[in-house]
Amino acid sequence: MSGVFLFELLCEEIPANALPGARRQLASRVRDKLAAEGVEPARLDVFSTSRRLSLWVEGLPKATPERVEEVLGPPVSVAYAPDGSLTRAGEGFARAQGVALEALEVVAGPKGKVVAAKKLIPGRALPDLLSEILLQVVPSLHFPKTMRWGEGNFTFVRPVHRVVALWGQGQLAEIVRLSLFGVPSGSATLGHRVVHPGEVDLFGVANLEEYLRRLATAGVVLDPQARRETLRRRAAALAAEVGCTVRSDPTLEEEHVELVEHPGLVRGELDRTWLALPEEVVITTLRHHQKCLVLEKGGALAPYFLAVCDRPDDPEGHVRRGNEWVAEARLADAHFFFQEDLKVPLTAMAEKLTTVAFHAKLGSYAEKASRIEQLAVTMAEALGVSELEGFLRTAARLAKADLGSHMVGEFPELQGVMGGIYAQKGGYPREVFQAIAEQYLPAGQEGPVPTSVTGAILGAADRLDTLAALFSLGEVPSGSKDPFALRRHALSVVRIGGEFPLNLPLADAVRWAAQPFGGSGAPELASFLRERERFFLEWKGLPAPVADAVLAARWGLPADELALGQALARLWQEPVFVQLATAFKRVRNRVSKEGEGEWAPERLGEEAERRLAQEVQRVERQLAELVAEKAWEQALALLASLAEPLDRFFTEVLVMCPDAALRQARLGLLAKVQGLFLQLADVSRLQQAN
Amino acid sequence: MFVVNSPFDAGLCGRREVPLELQTVILNLLEFWGERGCLVQQPYDMEVGAGTMHPETFLRVLGPEPYRVAYVQPSRRPADARFGENPFRLGKHLQLQVILKPSPEEVQELYLESLKALGIDPTMHDVRFEEDNWESPTLGAWGVGWQVLLDGMEITQFTYFQQAGGLDLKPISAEITYGLERIAMFLQRKTSIYDVEWVAGVPYGAVRHRDEVELSRYAFHVADVAMLRRHFEDWEREGFRCLEEEDPLVIPALEAALKMSHLFNLLEARGAVSTTERVALIARVRKLAVATAKAYLAQRERAGFPLLAAGAA
Repeated sequence: MSGVFLFELLCEEIPANALPGARRQLASRVRDKLAAEGVEPARLDVFSTSRRLSLWVEGLPKATPERVEEVLGPPVSVAYAPDGSLTRAGEGFARAQGVALEALEVVAGPKGKVVAAKKLIPGRALPDLLSEILLQVVPSLHFPKTMRWGEGNFTFVRPVHRVVALWGQGQLAEIVRLSLFGVPSGSATLGHRVVHPGEVDLFGVANLEEYLRRLATAGVVLDPQARRETLRRRAAALAAEVGCTVRSDPTLEEEHVELVEHPGLVRGELDRTWLALPEEVVITTLRHHQKCLVLEKGGALAPYFLAVCDRPDDPEGHVRRGNEWVAEARLADAHFFFQEDLKVPLTAMAEKLTTVAFHAKLGSYAEKASRIEQLAVTMAEALGVSELEGFLRTAARLAKADLGSHMVGEFPELQGVMGGIYAQKGGYPREVFQAIAEQYLPAGQEGPVPTSVTGAILGAADRLDTLAALFSLGEVPSGSKDPFALRRHALSVVRIGGEFPLNLPLADAVRWAAQPFGGSGAPELASFLRERERFFLEWKGLPAPVADAVLAARWGLPADELALGQALARLWQEPVFVQLATAFKRVRNRVSKEGEGEWAPERLGEEAERRLAQEVQRVERQLAELVAEKAWEQALALLASLAEPLDRFFTEVLVMCPDAALRQARLGLLAKVQGLFLQLADVSRLQQAN
Repeated sequence: MFVVNSPFDAGLCGRREVPLELQTVILNLLEFWGERGCLVQQPYDMEVGAGTMHPETFLRVLGPEPYRVAYVQPSRRPADARFGENPFRLGKHLQLQVILKPSPEEVQELYLESLKALGIDPTMHDVRFEEDNWESPTLGAWGVGWQVLLDGMEITQFTYFQQAGGLDLKPISAEITYGLERIAMFLQRKTSIYDVEWVAGVPYGAVRHRDEVELSRYAFHVADVAMLRRHFEDWEREGFRCLEEEDPLVIPALEAALKMSHLFNLLEARGAVSTTERVALIARVRKLAVATAKAYLAQRERAGFPLLAAGAA
């Protein structure tokens, strides 16, 4: 089991965003295909840089295990003559399977006894198997976008230049023959373009460490994790040299890992005059064009940035000076746009929105703005913050104005942020500029929710309007198809409701939002939001059955459902709830089958049912108060007090008794129980999981 | 190869590097690619948005015939014009366009060598190829490739053409497009395009600033919208008429499509095009471009794809 295998594909630069997926696919598909042949390697690792994908496998057998395969043949009655000798058919089968006549056996087939041949399938040499696997796996790796090159005969993420495939016992000593994209396999790859532009022969490599070392000597740090650590260490050190820290940007830091073969960083310095620009403008300019990290000191932006580079050093300072020059030029450009924008009042920018279409069938952004305004005002009234109406009207009218600004034209990722800055500079009150700045928060799962009431209302109203508008056109996301990112918008609405929180039932909000579109699509939107709320609750850590039980009873106030669900999650596995789940399941079944009867406790005569009726009335009185106080744990405990009387009821009382009036009263009692539970949770849904 | 030995303190001057004048950048690159089998062509004598629209690219990449060509193309983007006030943007800039068909195996190495013609030693710099795909809805064309970053500066667009005129391409052409002003700015470390030395003592601004001011004013304020629309329609009819000839007139049809494209760009800069209309106008240009591409291919086929026999141009 000392077989080692190395595969490396050297390409032209692969897009950074395609690499993590390619690594995952390569590892899992090769592993699966080996497993299908009964091979479990001791170690299987994949690595990549911007120019290569590689696979290291060790602890492989020389060949796949031998195995016995049983091939079923004709029925015994056909294969054997009455005298017990083989018929021509029987002999033919044995010959066809290549086994001796006397080796045939009789086994039970699906339709009776048949003859069977047991064949010894010899193991396959691993190099052959590996070659076959890679020929299947590599061309079928999925990439966001593929291309052809040269004569146009092959399709892959980028043109392929080298294929290394080496096998050996203990050390790599044999080229595994295969040809991918017209490139035959060999033993040599290429080093880093600048550090070591020549060939690196991998023949004779004995272990993974040696492979990584040979590439490292050639300027290539193959392991993304090693690059990640180096970049992090170097960033911290470069920042510390000037008494700063790195402003965290995990997405960009991950991209840096994938952009290079050698993890290099240089620190550049900015002219301090640029720090007069809003922080967001400086950061976005440097990030957008040069993928630079910025440094900060005491929380404020410092005049330094870090640029990634694909080399270990900067021998003549060109890399630093070049990046500094680019940063200056880009910031000068951004400064120009910022100054141009400041010449135009936001109201004038907003006027331009009449010509900017939100959607071909849904009119302009100006129309959208007026719908958002109306919806925001309605929501404010319902929330009891009518005093914010004026602010919300202004904010809604100006919310999309920055789409007409130069800055957002250049940097779409600054939408909202620029509007907020321009509104503040335009002298609008905090409630207004903060709402504009926060309207795009959160972006689905990412980022925080708004911190201001006006921002939360405006943000929710904007997304609800988008959702209602597109649902009215039947643009409902399905499967992987969600071109308008409606799932993200819906999750943002739920998060604002749940995390800000906004105490406003989403069912009402959906109705208001759908009004301008004649209400069409509203029911679909409501259930869409409810599904997003389920995602939200589980994302916040509720066990799936608990989220399910709560949402079966209520939805649309995600903060309440979350708190209630958390209380239920603490209780649901206690014995009393297990008992309650079973009993409540019976209640629901009975009521759904036989109807809700009528509430007539005076007709109930048996001890067990009178007792349950009393308990129900007591619980009903206390529950209303606990729900109003959002005392979820106590409310659930109160419901749990019905477990015992319910069990006794079902043991002692026959609901479907011959007396029709009594039957109706008993059903009425159960319907009452159901109503109480469904203020909180359909606990019957907890049953299966228990 | 021209080497100018002017000592720029603020420039890119390393031990071995001398920043070049804009003019020398152009001459060196054309010489470099000319020596590597490219036909050195001239700019197309019409307003175009990019070197890709030149028939030496748009048509030559179609069909099986090999081709190698290099040329400078003044490229007009009226909406990018900034009245000569922005240090970084122009309404008309210079592209140096190279087409290598089929794309050679060593195309990236060739490109890196071309940087030496600019006085840049790639081993002393950070050169990265970052994903940047290209698409031209008006030409029904798209490609996959990178922007090439030199020390953080985007100096070249590098594209493997996959489709043009709505037709799948085979073989595949590599297109290398150098943004000449930005390269010169970067080499000379100027913070404004207008300070770039066209030749020593003659800044870019002295040559081109007035054009930028006037072209901006024209595109944003003066252009006659009704006239532009009328001409858009006229050229559309004219283009299709050329293709309806018994022996279709390919070049005149392409020129009509280029006119339409430029008129559309002017209309857009003028703020006369709504979002929905935009899509419709682009589709009309594309329709003519696609029809022209088909007609070109048919014409070459009738001629027996003459450059196939001739080998590389």
